Amino acid sequence: MARILDPKDPYYIDNPGRVKSIQSEMQKRNIDVYLGSRVRTMSFILDAFCPWRSYIIIPAEGLPTLFTFVIDAVRIGDETWLDEDHVRAYAPMGGMDQISALSEFIKDDLGITSGRIGYEDGVSTYTAEGNLTHWEFSRLNDALPGFEWINSHDIIDGLSIIKDKGTIERFRKASLIVDEGHKAARAALENGGYKGMTEAVIAGIAALAMRKAGSVSEWNFAGLNEISSGYRTGLGACTPPTNREIQAGEPLMLDFHSMFQLALGDHSHNYLIGPATDRQRWHGDNFVALVSTVLDNYKAGASPSSLAEIMLDCAESRGCADFIVPGCEHGIGLFGDEWRIGATADGPIPYWTDPDHVYSENEMVVCAMQYQSPEEGIGFRYENDILILKDGCEYMSKYPLAIEEIK
Amino acid sequence: MSDKHVYLSTAWRDEALRRLQSELPPEKMNNITTSMSNIYKNCPGGEDMFLFVECKDGKVTRVETGTTGAPDGEFRITGDYETFAKISRAELGSQKALFTGKLKLKGNMAKALKLASLADRINKVLSQIPTEY
Repeated sequence: MARILDPKDPYYIDNPGRVKSIQSEMQKRNIDVYLGSRVRTMSFILDAFCPWRSYIIIPAEGLPTLFTFVIDAVRIGDETWLDEDHVRAYAPMGGMDQISALSEFIKDDLGITSGRIGYEDGVSTYTAEGNLTHWEFSRLNDALPGFEWINSHDIIDGLSIIKDKGTIERFRKASLIVDEGHKAARAALENGGYKGMTEAVIAGIAALAMRKAGSVSEWNFAGLNEISSGYRTGLGACTPPTNREIQAGEPLMLDFHSMFQLALGDHSHNYLIGPATDRQRWHGDNFVALVSTVLDNYKAGASPSSLAEIMLDCAESRGCADFIVPGCEHGIGLFGDEWRIGATADGPIPYWTDPDHVYSENEMVVCAMQYQSPEEGIGFRYENDILILKDGCEYMSKYPLAIEEIK
Repeated sequence: MSDKHVYLSTAWRDEALRRLQSELPPEKMNNITTSMSNIYKNCPGGEDMFLFVECKDGKVTRVETGTTGAPDGEFRITGDYETFAKISRAELGSQKALFTGKLKLKGNMAKALKLASLADRINKVLSQIPTEY
């Protein structure tokens, strides 16, 4: 049975209103029907977790219809706000394969036999983005003669940039859940608890604490909870946990992820497992100063490039510019929306963050900073969901910024 | 006189309705309300034919056959006469016919999945009718 939307729910999202906004944009562009295929599009419209290949068909007016893999259709029908008639399935059956189901729905059920069809194409650093594949496009193009295909992903991307109240509340909750993971990890590490503990185990300890606090997934495609210890902290910004044991005298980076009602908690915290050297402490102090400086400058009107300049200036002044990765953030939204900043793909390098994108109030990003000295076997990472405000920002994880030494 | 009914004839249709109503009480049909139009292509006579079955609150209320004017059903299944005949003779499972593309289903697949076992029950009853193909 479909979920009843309750405007009094603190996490309420006006999904029917989102559909109408999309349809309004379609009308402006003379798009007769929109075929969405990206994970972020499903999350934005359905407010349900759609892990299998899914498609959503949005007519010029009225409700959209989802097509998902048959094994998961009933579950999605139970979780989304759309009624049963608008949650459909495809299957390896005659007439029910993806191409037949989609093309016949558009022609027969919607009665649209020609016109302009919006679809989602592009390139992403995120494997699971879900743009229409060449195979899908070619077959659908054959099955729907008379249609002009218009790449229109920026409709959804544009509408999803500024977060509504319910979405913001979900991110606040997801971030506080991540803090519970960090508290549990801290407790497990102290008093020698780290001895014999692997990266994978500390990831699991945090995952359990976050699940108990309300998270349903460690969502991150790059390794769920990302953990690095020792020399691995200097290897970059994607470190799925391994069975490497945490050891004295080494740095440790814990990057935890929670998911609450499709909102994605994301916070990284760093430790030095004692005894720390003066050089390690110098690196740590640099990193805390850099993060503090950047956080102090997030506000409406700032841009990725302006923040990067501030970070670089700070790094130069501290003599640590060689160790920073020159970027401060990645995009964030409901599940599936976790990379590019902004809505359009017309920056200097298409489908990458436009460095001159100007942040607006109630936009959200993950402040994401990486500091690394692979030669010295040390690195740190900071990530935190932040809400852009008129004169500043709200960082949603409240876990104190520091690089603690675990004695 | 043969005691077999010609497949999809009026007599076969009446026998199908009688058997479905007597052998599939509403509770065995999960008290469902639905309908299905099977469209038979490449029939022996050259014309397309149809078999329409309707259930209301689990009771089979209509079985219709004919060559034109197939009623609209919640589901529409299209295939060759011989494929349907094999299913009715219990020589081919309807699921296999769908999964191999021999039959083409139109309608809400998510709902159809819930009805798969009921369709099987109907087919089993129909397969017991002495039939001349």
